Amino acid sequence: MTGIRGPSIRRRAAPAYRLAVVALAAIASVAADRAKPNRQAEGRGGLPATVTAAADGPAMKVAAVSAARRDRVRTEAAAIDALLESRWRELGIEPSPPLDDAQFVRRIHLELAGRIPTYDETTAFLADASSAKRDAMIESLLASPEYVSHFYNYWADVLRLTERPQRNLVFEPYLAYVKDSIRTNKPYDEWVREMLTADGRLWENPAVGFQLRDDGMPLPYVDNTVRVLLGTQIGCAQCHDHPFDQWTQHQFYELAAFTAGTKTRLSVGTRPGKPGKDPQPIPPPVVRTLVKEARETKGKKAGGLIQFIQANATAVSFVDASLRLPHDYQYDDAKPLEKVERELLWGKVPASVAHADGREQFAAWMVARTNRQFARTIANRMWKQVMGVGIVEPVDDFRQENPPSDPELLEHLTTLVIGLDFDLREFIRVVVSTTAYQRRAVLHDPTSAEPFRFAGPALRRMTAEQLWDSIVALVARNPWSVQRPTAAEVAEVAAIDLRQASLADVEQTFDAFVGRYGPGRYQRTLQQACGYRGQWLMKASEMPTPLPLGHFLRQFGQSDRETIDGGRTVPTIPQILAMFNGPITHAMLEEGSVIYDTVMAHDPEETVDVVFFSVLGHEPSAEDRRCAHDELTDAGDPATGCGNLIWALLNTREFLFIQ
Amino acid sequence: MSPMPVLEDGSLARRAFLGQAARAAFGITLLDGLAGRRATAAPAAGGTNVIYLMMRGAMSHIDTFDPKPGREEQGETKAIATKLPGVMFGEHLPLLAGLADRLAVIRSLTTETGAHEQGTYLMRTSYAQLNSIRHPAFGSWALHVLGKRSRDLPGYVLVGNGNEHPGCGFLDPAVTPVPLADPERGLENIARPAYLSQANFERRLSLAERIDGDFKRHYAGRQIEAYDQMYADAVRLMGSGDLAAFDISREDAATRERYGRSRLGQGCLLARRLVESGVRCVEVEMGGWDMHRDLWEELPEKVGELDTAMAALIEDLAARGLLGSTLVVLATEFGRSPKVNENAGRDHHPAVFSCVLAGAGVKPGVVHGASDAAGRLPDRDAVSVADFNATIAAACGMPWEKEFVAPNGRPFKIGNDGTPVAAVLA
Repeated sequence: MTGIRGPSIRRRAAPAYRLAVVALAAIASVAADRAKPNRQAEGRGGLPATVTAAADGPAMKVAAVSAARRDRVRTEAAAIDALLESRWRELGIEPSPPLDDAQFVRRIHLELAGRIPTYDETTAFLADASSAKRDAMIESLLASPEYVSHFYNYWADVLRLTERPQRNLVFEPYLAYVKDSIRTNKPYDEWVREMLTADGRLWENPAVGFQLRDDGMPLPYVDNTVRVLLGTQIGCAQCHDHPFDQWTQHQFYELAAFTAGTKTRLSVGTRPGKPGKDPQPIPPPVVRTLVKEARETKGKKAGGLIQFIQANATAVSFVDASLRLPHDYQYDDAKPLEKVERELLWGKVPASVAHADGREQFAAWMVARTNRQFARTIANRMWKQVMGVGIVEPVDDFRQENPPSDPELLEHLTTLVIGLDFDLREFIRVVVSTTAYQRRAVLHDPTSAEPFRFAGPALRRMTAEQLWDSIVALVARNPWSVQRPTAAEVAEVAAIDLRQASLADVEQTFDAFVGRYGPGRYQRTLQQACGYRGQWLMKASEMPTPLPLGHFLRQFGQSDRETIDGGRTVPTIPQILAMFNGPITHAMLEEGSVIYDTVMAHDPEETVDVVFFSVLGHEPSAEDRRCAHDELTDAGDPATGCGNLIWALLNTREFLFIQ
Repeated sequence: MSPMPVLEDGSLARRAFLGQAARAAFGITLLDGLAGRRATAAPAAGGTNVIYLMMRGAMSHIDTFDPKPGREEQGETKAIATKLPGVMFGEHLPLLAGLADRLAVIRSLTTETGAHEQGTYLMRTSYAQLNSIRHPAFGSWALHVLGKRSRDLPGYVLVGNGNEHPGCGFLDPAVTPVPLADPERGLENIARPAYLSQANFERRLSLAERIDGDFKRHYAGRQIEAYDQMYADAVRLMGSGDLAAFDISREDAATRERYGRSRLGQGCLLARRLVESGVRCVEVEMGGWDMHRDLWEELPEKVGELDTAMAALIEDLAARGLLGSTLVVLATEFGRSPKVNENAGRDHHPAVFSCVLAGAGVKPGVVHGASDAAGRLPDRDAVSVADFNATIAAACGMPWEKEFVAPNGRPFKIGNDGTPVAAVLA
């Protein structure tokens, strides 16, 4: 690949040095070639061409951020700062020092775009003399596709997004729907209500995925929904009353009674559908006959076909139904098998839905502005996402015995999120605009009895996705060679009208579906587009999910997508081995990687600074510079020295942690 | 950090400094490990080893170790006779039924926690999950109390997912388990790339440590130290001469078949190799037990894998003379409901469930406790999760009654307030 170097790149003297760097890359490539499983279009070095080619970014239109609101954002941020500062004064707490511009530009990229800034982004920001450059940077990142990618990773962890939660659930449309809801910056209350009340199949209305995630388990569905949306754990009451819990088993069933009429199969008791919205009913024999025919005539293929028929018969609908207590209910407040009357945990059903069905009532109550716990939960979640620690921890365990560390702050943020009409992106914008956020990170010990006072954000290790996307940013000019399929793309090869389809029709669609989204298909597409030594050099958000346990992202704690908020940042030995010896670390030593080209585009005497800015985002200290320079001249040849320096910076704790 | 020599010239002085910096950062053993020398003296060669099999998702007691033949609750699983007169297992455990005289089965475990995350945490730690502290997993306790057996190999290996694992809890990060994703792939990325010389690798490490100095001074604390520990352990491990222990492809095909080609089977084989080579504790996870629907479509295969793997493990350990010094634990989160639900599955059932012990410190051929006729509640000799953990601690010769003080000043015991079940102890 040529022609990708911009005009600013100077090809100049020091040929011995340049050759040496090329030699370094060549050495790295030898190892690469041995391990390369598949052929793909070759770029320079061992990197795929799609990855090294300059790109304008993905085709993704992200909702605009209003520059006109900047003054209001400042006012809202100042109000939070005033609150925190009065708390610090009261408690004699010394705030952490403010971030300098270099620290800010790194942190804000990780926070909003989920990766470190490139050398060019950092140096351009430092060179910018305008006084409002931080606000402008925040606004620009919030409107970028990488914001969508980063917050998709967040929600994928919360909502347990996986492609096949059960064998007959094809969830790609729902995953695309979540990503799209972030892209369009759908107000959170609307988004939630849409998911809680959605009807239909995943093909036509992918929002139904939320209700299907725990398909077949109506009680865990209520438990998980309340845990995620209201920060409240009532699920333990599913088995027993517990002396330390606020909620009884009876209350749990009373709440579950609202959604008890949720049906997830087209053929079972479906009400007549309204065109365009509700699923069309299918007489039960249709599915049964197709399944029987497949089982009897299709041999080995039958299993897959039956799952595919079931996937097409999976649709959410709702008819009010009553819920009865379990046969072994053991408390005095009611009898086993007794019908449960609907009762909310708190508050009232809004008048506007007084005559609507149970599910509509549950959803309307959930997102109502009068239900402050809904707003409080998301305010606390988003605050934690940015500041590193929730005001209530864990974020899904609001209880009287687990009070907020700063009730006044939490109520302030709750009011703010409501005042912003549940525009979560705008909420994030306000929080990252506070001076409290723009301070150096401080240590936080979660086991300490002392509450965290937000004298700055808590020091955090990068999430698995931040780390991956950061490393990819050092390698790939284009990390977007593939995006996950849209809902419409999947529907196109998956949707069958079961009322009219013969088994032959089903089989034809099934073959088309398997050809595109069958096991391993997406993986193969990725391998061809951006495969490098068994890794895909692309955004974490666009990868298949869950990834296998041994993948770099899983090693660094990415969720298995079965546990709510299951991502972790604890250290393990395999992580270190992956950083030391894994293919991804070495991808950046290949010719054509971003950092390689950046080094080559600068004078040799600038190498140390370029590498420091690229990897750690700041200038080296005088001592580091001398130490690094020595390494370049002392390692036998400067290329090896340069490789050693890049490797060394990647393997610092400073690189892994967000200051 | 030792005082830094000021460098004005020659590389010799500089090289000396680089070596010194690395020693200061990692401790002297690091560079010995780097040199690839074999451990000369094992720190704590004796004592019991533990192989802990964790069934994630909650194993159905009625379909495995506590069948109720003739009852409606039994569903499709038939009961079969075992080597112990009058004791029956589920039909998919024929091999373990034949080894029943070597097992101690507890049929009266009981807990109040019917949620996966909390149930697993309780089983692994004996404590309820709290916000304010993380408790150590049993393997970390074992390593803390009984010590590491090999200098370079880890003391505790987890074959499975580290994310939900409590790990070392409040104990020293040095007793954290090393998670391995796939027993077939062993320890990945353990070798340096071919183009990287040992000398260059050491240069890189020294450079990283030196540049990291400012950051580590500013944020000195457990969070960063835990990572430092992993860097040091990773380097030591890379220099180990015992890495073949992680490579199950060195076993002959017949042995690999005997354990079963399942993840659990190969995980058990890896566990045996690791224990043989000086790893104190290996935990192997097996997922997929959460069968809320169509239970009998999946259960036979799953139970069969368990049967094959655990039977092979016990026989192999016995044949190698290791069963007397190795405790094998089969644990799960809680039981599954005796009543078959409308989707032909079983739901969560914490009130009663079964676990199994074998090997070191265990009285063989015992069935302890019983559930009632329907498999709903303990009928006699109820055993709490804390009792169970105190029992396995006692079987390993660990001081289950001793209080250990955590950094927050509060006392904790290995099996919380539990008491060992004397009836299953040798």
